[in-house]
Amino acid sequence: MFLRLDDEQQEIRDLVRKFAQQEIAPHAEQWDEESHFPRELFPAIGELGLAGTLVPEDYGGAALSRLTGTVIYEQIAQADMSTAIWLAVHNMVAGLIAKFGNDEQRKRWLPQMAAGETLGAFALSEAHAGSDAASIRCLARRDGDDYILNGTKFWVTSAGQADVYAVMVRTDHEGGARGISTLVVEKDTPGFSIGKLERKMGLHASPTGELIFEDCRLPATNLLGNEGDGLKISLSSLDGGRINIGAIATGVAQAALDVSTRYAQDRVAFGKPIGAFEGIQFMLADMAMKIEASRLLVYQAAFKMDEGEPATPYAAMAKCFATDSAMAVTTDAVQILGGAGYVRDWPVERYMRDAKVAQIFEGANQIQRIVVARSLIGSIAKVR
Amino acid sequence: MKIVMCVKETPSTTAEKRFGADMRLERRKEDAIINPFDEYSIEEGLRQQEKHGGETIVLSMGPATATDTIRKALAMGADRGVLVSDPALAGSDAVATARVLAAALQKIGFDLVLFGSAAADAYGGIVPSAVAEFLGLPLLSFATKLDEDGTTAKIERQAEVGYNTVETQTPALVSVMKSINEPRYPSMKGIMQSKKKTIDTMSLADLGIESGTVGAGASGEKALSAEKITTQRKGEIYMGNDGAAERVVAFLVEQKVL
Repeated sequence: MFLRLDDEQQEIRDLVRKFAQQEIAPHAEQWDEESHFPRELFPAIGELGLAGTLVPEDYGGAALSRLTGTVIYEQIAQADMSTAIWLAVHNMVAGLIAKFGNDEQRKRWLPQMAAGETLGAFALSEAHAGSDAASIRCLARRDGDDYILNGTKFWVTSAGQADVYAVMVRTDHEGGARGISTLVVEKDTPGFSIGKLERKMGLHASPTGELIFEDCRLPATNLLGNEGDGLKISLSSLDGGRINIGAIATGVAQAALDVSTRYAQDRVAFGKPIGAFEGIQFMLADMAMKIEASRLLVYQAAFKMDEGEPATPYAAMAKCFATDSAMAVTTDAVQILGGAGYVRDWPVERYMRDAKVAQIFEGANQIQRIVVARSLIGSIAKVR
Repeated sequence: MKIVMCVKETPSTTAEKRFGADMRLERRKEDAIINPFDEYSIEEGLRQQEKHGGETIVLSMGPATATDTIRKALAMGADRGVLVSDPALAGSDAVATARVLAAALQKIGFDLVLFGSAAADAYGGIVPSAVAEFLGLPLLSFATKLDEDGTTAKIERQAEVGYNTVETQTPALVSVMKSINEPRYPSMKGIMQSKKKTIDTMSLADLGIESGTVGAGASGEKALSAEKITTQRKGEIYMGNDGAAERVVAFLVEQKVL
C-alpha cells in the first residue's frame, strides 16, 4: 500500500508550492476579476519543467509519474484553480502527442510545448456530444494529402489562447466509435476560427470557448495515430485526467480550509475567536477529513496508474469524491467566513465558484458513479 | 574558475522557534530550508559560472541531514557539494564555524567564495569576515553587483548616497546582498539531476582540526536568553471636528508624506 511521497516528490511539491505561492497566488484574485489568462507565466512554467510532465526527456520534457503530477496540480490549484486546469489540459495534449504521435510529429510540437512556448488544448465536446464521445459530428473529409474539416467544438479549455488543438473528428461517415480520429490543428490555419467564449460562474482565468472549422484544410501529417484511433486516444487520457481533476479539487479545498482555519483563529465574536466554538470546530474537522480522504484516493489512483494496474474505478472514485468534497469544503469555508466569505475581498467565494465545475467536467460525477458501480456489478444496467 | 558557495541550513522563517535549556535553537528536520540569504550567493555563483565556466561547489557545515539542504542548492544547478559534519561541532559559534569553513575551503581550493550577508536564524553576519580573517584573504562585503574576470573581483556596495566600488585580486571572498540578483527556481530536471551529483562529507579529522578548538566548549559566544518579539499595531484615532484634520496633517508632515 502506498503511503508516503518519496524525497524527490516532496522536493518537487515544495518547489511548486513556493512557485505557486509567489508567482500565482498573489495575482489569482485579479486574474479572476479581469478574466485574464496569464500567458506571461507560461515560459516560467516551462522553465520549471511543468509544461512537459508527460513528455519524454529526449523531447525536453520531465517525464514525471502520474503521482508526481497530482502533487504538482494540487499545489498549483491551491494558488489558482484556473491555472491548474489549463496546465493540466496542456500537459495531457503534450502527453497524447508523445504517446500516439510519430517521431516527426513529436519533434514538431513537443520541445516547444515542454518549454512553455506552444500551448496545447483538447477539443472533444460538441453540441450533441460530451460524455457520449461516439456521437461526434465534426467532419474531416480526406482530399489528397489533406483533410478538410467542418464543424464546431464546444467547451474547449484555452480556446483562443492555445497554439495547437487536439481535435476529435469524424473521418468516417458511417458513424459510431470507429469513425473517430484525432487531428492536431494549429492556430492561424485558414478556415479555423474561435467562436463564442463562455461567460462562466468560475474559472475566469482559464478561457473556455467554441472552435469553428469552415473548410479548414490541413495536411494529413497532422493526423495523430491512424484513422479511427480517435476514441482510443481520447479514452486513454480519461483516467489521468480524472485523477488530475481530483488533485486540483483537493488543492482548492485545502486552500479553503487554510483560509477558514486562520479566520477562525482571528475572528472574535462573543469575546472569543470563533474557532473556540464547537459549531465551527466541527465544520473545520469535517473539512479536514474530507480533504485527507480525497488526497489519499487521488494518490492511490495515480499510484495504481503508475504501477500499470487497472485504475479506472479508482480514478472515478478519486475524481468524484474529491470534487464533491471540494464543493462541500469551499461552501463551508464561505459559511465560516460569513459575510466576509461572500464578498470578493476574501478568496473563498472564488474557490466555491471554481470548485463547482469540477463536479461537472471530465465526466460529470453521475458518470463517475456509474463507472464505480459497473466495476462492482458489471455493466448489466447499460446506461444510454 | 572554482567557485564555492557557503550555505547554511536554517529553520524556515515562518517556523515556530523553540529553544533548548542551553538557549540553542532546536532544529527540526521538517522546518529546514536553505538560509534565504544564501539563495542569492548560490544564484550569483551560478551566474558567474555561466559567464566564465569552471566549477561550482556548495559548502555547508551542519548535521548529517544537511545533505538535503545541499541537494536543494544542487537542484538549482551547482555541480557538487561538500558537507562538514562532526558531532564535536555542535554548539559552535560564528568564530568556530568560520575556523571550520576556512579549513574546508583550503582543502577544496577556490578562486571565489560567496556568502549570503547573514543567516536568517541568528542574523550574526560575521562568518564571512571571520573566514576571510582565518584565510588571510580579502572580503568584499555586502555586494550589490559582482564582476569577476579571472584575476580580479570588483563589487558595488550600497552606500548612503550612491555606491562604493571595491576591487581586489582573486582568490577572494564576497558576501552578497539581496538586491544583487533574483534567485532562480530549481527545475524538475534540476531536482532529478541533483540526485546523481556527489556530496562529499568531511569530518574534523579530515580537516585536521582538533575537536577541542570548536564546538560549544570552545565557543566564546553564549546565548543567555531568547524572547519572542511581539509587535503591537499602534493606531491613533482622531475624532470629531476638534482639530482632527490639523492633527492628521501634522502627522503626515511629520512622516514626510506631505
